[in-house]
Amino acid sequence: MTLTMTHLMALLPLIVVCATAITVMLGIAWRRHHGGTAAVTVIGIVLTLAMLLPIWTMAPVEVPLLVVDGLALFAGAMILISSLTCAALAYVYLDNYPGPREEFYLLLLCAAAGGMVLAASRHLATLFVGLELLSMPLYGMLAYAFSERRSLEAGIKYFILSAAATAFLLFGMALLYAQVGRLDLPAVAAVLGERPTAWGLAGIGLLLVGLGFKLSIVPFHLWTPDVYEGAPGPAATFLASASKVAVFVVLLRLVLSTPAFQDDWLRGVLAVLALAGMLVGNLLALVQSNLKRLLGYSSIAHFGYLLVALVVGDGLATETSGVYLLTYLVTTLGAFGVVTLLSSSYSGEDTAALHHYRGLFWRRPYLTAVLTVSLLSLAGIPFTAGFIGKFYIIALGVEAERWWLVGGIIVGSAIGLYYYLRVMVTLYLVEPGMRRRDAPRDWGGRAGGVVVLGLALLVVMLGVYPAPMIEWVRLVEHITVR
Amino acid sequence: MTLLWIPLLTLLGVLVPALTARRGRGFCTLATVTLPAMALLLTLSQVPALLDGELPRVALSWIPSLGLDLAFRMDGLSLMFATLILGIGLLIILYAHFYLSAGEPYGRFYAYLVLFMLSMLGIVMADNLLLLWIFWELTSLSSFLLIGYWSHWTDARKGARMAMTVTGAGGLALLAGFLLLGDMVGSFDLGVVLSSADVILADPRYPVMLVLVLLGAFTKSAQFPFHFWLPHAMAAPTPVSAYLHSATMVKAGIFLMARLHPALGDSELWGWLVTLTGMTTFLYGAWFALLKTDLKAILAFSTVSHLGLVTALLGIGSPMAILAALFHILNHATFKGALFMSAGIIDHETGARELGKLGGLRRAMPITALLTTITAASMAGVPLLNGFLSKEMFFTETLDTALLGGLGWLLPVLATLGGILSVAYSLRLVHGVFFKPAKEVPPKSPHEPPRLMRAPVELLATLCVAVGLFPAALATGILDLATRAVLREPLDFHLAIWHGVNLPLVMSLAALAAGITAYGLHSNIRHFARQFAPIDARLVFEGTIQSLVARTQTLTHRLENGSLQRYMSLLLGTALLLATLGLVELPELAGDKPTQPLDAMLVLGSALMIFAALGTAITHRYRLISLLMLSVVGLVVSLTFARFSAPDLALTQLSVEVVTMILLMLALFFLPQKTPQESSASRIIRDLVLAGTLGMVVASLNYAVLTREIDSIAGFFIANSVPGGGGHNVVNVILVDFRGFDTLGEITVLALAGLAIFKLLNRLRLFMPHSDGEGRVWSPDRYPMILTTVSQALLPLALLVAAFIFLRGHNMPGGGFIAGLVTAVALILVYMARGVEWTQNRLDFPYQPVAIGGVAVATLTGLGSWLFGRPFLTSAFGHFHIPLVGDIELATAMLFDLGVYLAVVGATLMILANLGKLTTPHRPTKEAPAVSRKETPAPPSEEAPLILDTEKSQRPSKEKA
Repeated sequence: MTLTMTHLMALLPLIVVCATAITVMLGIAWRRHHGGTAAVTVIGIVLTLAMLLPIWTMAPVEVPLLVVDGLALFAGAMILISSLTCAALAYVYLDNYPGPREEFYLLLLCAAAGGMVLAASRHLATLFVGLELLSMPLYGMLAYAFSERRSLEAGIKYFILSAAATAFLLFGMALLYAQVGRLDLPAVAAVLGERPTAWGLAGIGLLLVGLGFKLSIVPFHLWTPDVYEGAPGPAATFLASASKVAVFVVLLRLVLSTPAFQDDWLRGVLAVLALAGMLVGNLLALVQSNLKRLLGYSSIAHFGYLLVALVVGDGLATETSGVYLLTYLVTTLGAFGVVTLLSSSYSGEDTAALHHYRGLFWRRPYLTAVLTVSLLSLAGIPFTAGFIGKFYIIALGVEAERWWLVGGIIVGSAIGLYYYLRVMVTLYLVEPGMRRRDAPRDWGGRAGGVVVLGLALLVVMLGVYPAPMIEWVRLVEHITVR
Repeated sequence: MTLLWIPLLTLLGVLVPALTARRGRGFCTLATVTLPAMALLLTLSQVPALLDGELPRVALSWIPSLGLDLAFRMDGLSLMFATLILGIGLLIILYAHFYLSAGEPYGRFYAYLVLFMLSMLGIVMADNLLLLWIFWELTSLSSFLLIGYWSHWTDARKGARMAMTVTGAGGLALLAGFLLLGDMVGSFDLGVVLSSADVILADPRYPVMLVLVLLGAFTKSAQFPFHFWLPHAMAAPTPVSAYLHSATMVKAGIFLMARLHPALGDSELWGWLVTLTGMTTFLYGAWFALLKTDLKAILAFSTVSHLGLVTALLGIGSPMAILAALFHILNHATFKGALFMSAGIIDHETGARELGKLGGLRRAMPITALLTTITAASMAGVPLLNGFLSKEMFFTETLDTALLGGLGWLLPVLATLGGILSVAYSLRLVHGVFFKPAKEVPPKSPHEPPRLMRAPVELLATLCVAVGLFPAALATGILDLATRAVLREPLDFHLAIWHGVNLPLVMSLAALAAGITAYGLHSNIRHFARQFAPIDARLVFEGTIQSLVARTQTLTHRLENGSLQRYMSLLLGTALLLATLGLVELPELAGDKPTQPLDAMLVLGSALMIFAALGTAITHRYRLISLLMLSVVGLVVSLTFARFSAPDLALTQLSVEVVTMILLMLALFFLPQKTPQESSASRIIRDLVLAGTLGMVVASLNYAVLTREIDSIAGFFIANSVPGGGGHNVVNVILVDFRGFDTLGEITVLALAGLAIFKLLNRLRLFMPHSDGEGRVWSPDRYPMILTTVSQALLPLALLVAAFIFLRGHNMPGGGFIAGLVTAVALILVYMARGVEWTQNRLDFPYQPVAIGGVAVATLTGLGSWLFGRPFLTSAFGHFHIPLVGDIELATAMLFDLGVYLAVVGATLMILANLGKLTTPHRPTKEAPAVSRKETPAPPSEEAPLILDTEKSQRPSKEKA
């Protein structure tokens, strides 16, 4: 095929992100400047975000390896928003960091580009390249504060386990290739048909292992709490938001486009994984005394809920996943943002132990309000974004008459309510003589603070008036290539 | 639009206390009261319209895509509840004004209370199921805030959390039920839902939906077995208890059942579930109310019991039963509200709530005593009070229902039993507090409360008496409206005190008499009850949670102990399971492709490979042996390539093997010489099993794939190699022609990696360990004679071979990549034999330009094709005849190959020569390791302390990264 102007335009966001990464890299080689690097990063990302609007009108555009359709643009926007948030948080977080600070943005941009490739992939090769481009910089980001034992440990753990998971992913791809003889997803979908042969099934299963690992779906979730806990705030934020969104979108694409995924056996496997995720994630979160670990387990549970959409896998699934992902993303960014802001003025381990949060309300009321809103949203309380997501998931489960899954969601959410409340109550306690770890006084005026406040506002707005979001997600579904 | 103002005014009312809290308590209370009072007036202003048979409703679109509208209605049922909520709410605010002590943040309290009022109003007025649900959740949330108001008190926090968790879980079940209901009916509009009972009842999903909805209602209304949260929510300040647990929160579930009765109620399942749950709760609550000693606990359990009574009535579901249920809701709200407030007064004025500490208060608080006695009598169902009327109706209905068939007599018996118990506990409450002589002096000297604090109680007690005396005049109007809303048709009824001597009256009188006797035998009953281990619901709930926590903790420890090995083994295990499941589905492992014959060479080769691979793993603690084993594996692999006619691959593998081995040796040399034994025997077994099965499964999958026909792209390359690329060596043609762009990328990466390693190692100096793992000293003769001689002789030969391989590459096995590796190996040999310094004195040029030059040559070759107007990297080839040499083929691909050659040589030498340069013969000075240890985050090992060029490196950590 020949590359037309339309194709080039559609790929422009990706190109701009990569160009920004290169600019940042060259800038670092030329002269180190933290503020400058952050500014270039933010400008690049904002530019890309702005570019998504005109491309929206021309979607879907297909090139041999990538497809720029509604889903890809949707995921792209979410990845960019998370990256923007992470950049803003990192600017605050790294301000007191003794080591080199600028490379973090380079890694962030590379990972964002990887996520965008992954979300837009319609070929197993781009899927793999995107996944690796997303993960490789993440190893570096997670171990960025490598003088901290836990950060280094987080990086290495994620690296080794991720490598193993990727090996399975590749083996799965090889098995699929052996059966299909092609690597592009439409061909794979067409050849596999409704009922794949046994090793095609094994291939899909192994593919699921690789992607499930990144999504921390039970039983591939074991790395999650350790890595969340150890990673520096902004890196954990990225891992919890952009990385998960990108991988989930590609999994959604696989499930929707490949009829073989609708096979009863695989649906059964997915349903079991979903149920396990909801229960294990929520149960293990009960005993955590570290907010980052708790958020890690809660993300396991949330992806358990999200899997319901894949199990059902019909027309409403895209809308449901879209809404859920969006609400989850905004909420998670808010929660992690607060943790990061609190940790920013300390070099050393992040402020994540629950006792650090005792009585936070009396010291930083607005920041506490942000965290409270985020936690309420994670718990799925009405008038927050999380409620809309949960509503969709339950509605989907009820409509598909998956009673076990609906039961799982209800039980899981009830347990969730319990531990989110525990954290919330902690925030408002007054105890004398507590160890104080606060955000800097002027946190609200800093880049990260502004972003976090905006996110909290968004959480409430999406909860009270979600109609525009729903319209948007429907539009996304409309221009998504099946 | 008037309708919209009722919740809206209340919503604004939430803000008022927050704004006026600074202007003094009296002002704040007054300001808070204003807006709800206006809302109450507005509510009452709807009465004429209702009497005309209209249904005022208002609907605004909110989230149409979810079917959620901002729709409110005001039918009789809503009117009754709204009046109750707002009226009692106002009384409670007045009461709280006196109840809360001066230091407490009353503004916050009022705000929560009005918020709660709003959410209750929303529930009763909502005309859309989803809107109703949202307000439902809001009641959970605001009650959480209210119950946990004294947040410094652990009991309050725990009670609040328990209430929230239980009602929240019920709420989610309710949501699922509503969604299902909406799915059946096709709309969430209440009007539509209520009028499509036949559709709902005919739907096969009706039972699931009903159970889900009832779960929501039962948890909210504290029905058995979800009743346990209610007594613990008593940790709230008394005004909250009075409001939440008499008039509002717990009535939400009852309201829901009444509201949905027209749509869901007409089925056997409903009757059974609701009636039996209600009866059980009725008895259970009454029994425990008799046993408790805390005033508020008695009231809490009696609330549970009365809620059960109403539920049972709703379950029976006849028109008169509905009427009775609604009437009892009204009556219960009046007498229970008053009782809670009296309990609060007693607590407030004496400082004690335990029956054991109280007594004889009638002297100190005569008016309160009178009020409490009246309301408690109403609770007991004493004639001439309102409680009597509705209880009498309840008895009548239990007699009339046909629900249990042959066991129908059971219901009235149970009802009477419940009646007896409630008489007993009411009597005990009043007698114990006011009439029995006190056992001990209460903490505060008791006296009457402020006049206005008592006013709400007085009002409610008056209502009890008035309604009891003139039911027809006072209650008929509102009940008529409410029943009309539930039954969807007017009901002809007549409330009266005297129906003549009939069975219900006998039951009432019997209950009274037996109740008094039961109270007389009270100590015996308590003695009897003590024989059973007390089941404290909170202990059960907390115990469940604790055991859950303990179990999850074990699970966490078992799963997530932070051990990477464990994570890895679980990951592998699961992947194995998934792959195996796929394999199991395979009908037959082997496909139809014939297998190749097995000969001795193959068997020997594979045996050797397996043995060597095993050896590598087993001897991994003895590095040299392990490396030797590994090289055997590599060697056999390259032989395998050769055996299956892939000489190119064999050659590449061989040279890569050599280079890798040198790299490994160099790197391992600097690592700690001893590898500690880490694995226990059990872990080794686990790893063996895991590795073994994984290997078998993967091998089986491979076998399955390889024995079947595969549509391969190899044919294309074989067919097009000569016509398209002008070379007979397909591998080389693929590398430099068909996939030339990939190769260009690869050599660029290679050169970059070389540069990066060069840069990273540039300033690093490592001290050479003097002995190996077993403590043997390395040979002092660093450059052995034989090796020196051999390497010198080999170098020209190797270079010649490299040139030969390079030149023949396009048609015969060989090529730039292999030639580059051969050259590199030959040069490395010289390095090893002669030492870095000796060699570098003679090979006096840096390798970086070589590598970069290689990439440049390759790129320029590609760009060259642009000169001829062709796309990037188009290749051309031609045959030339050179005298003496003969016919020779030259292709631009050859130039490209030259680039590959140079890049490989440059990068390999950059990496290896630099690693070799790391050692320094100089021993570390005393200070050096200490400094480096302080600066480097990960302390270097004992054997190989890190020494850095101190004059250049300001940031050692960066170098290591």
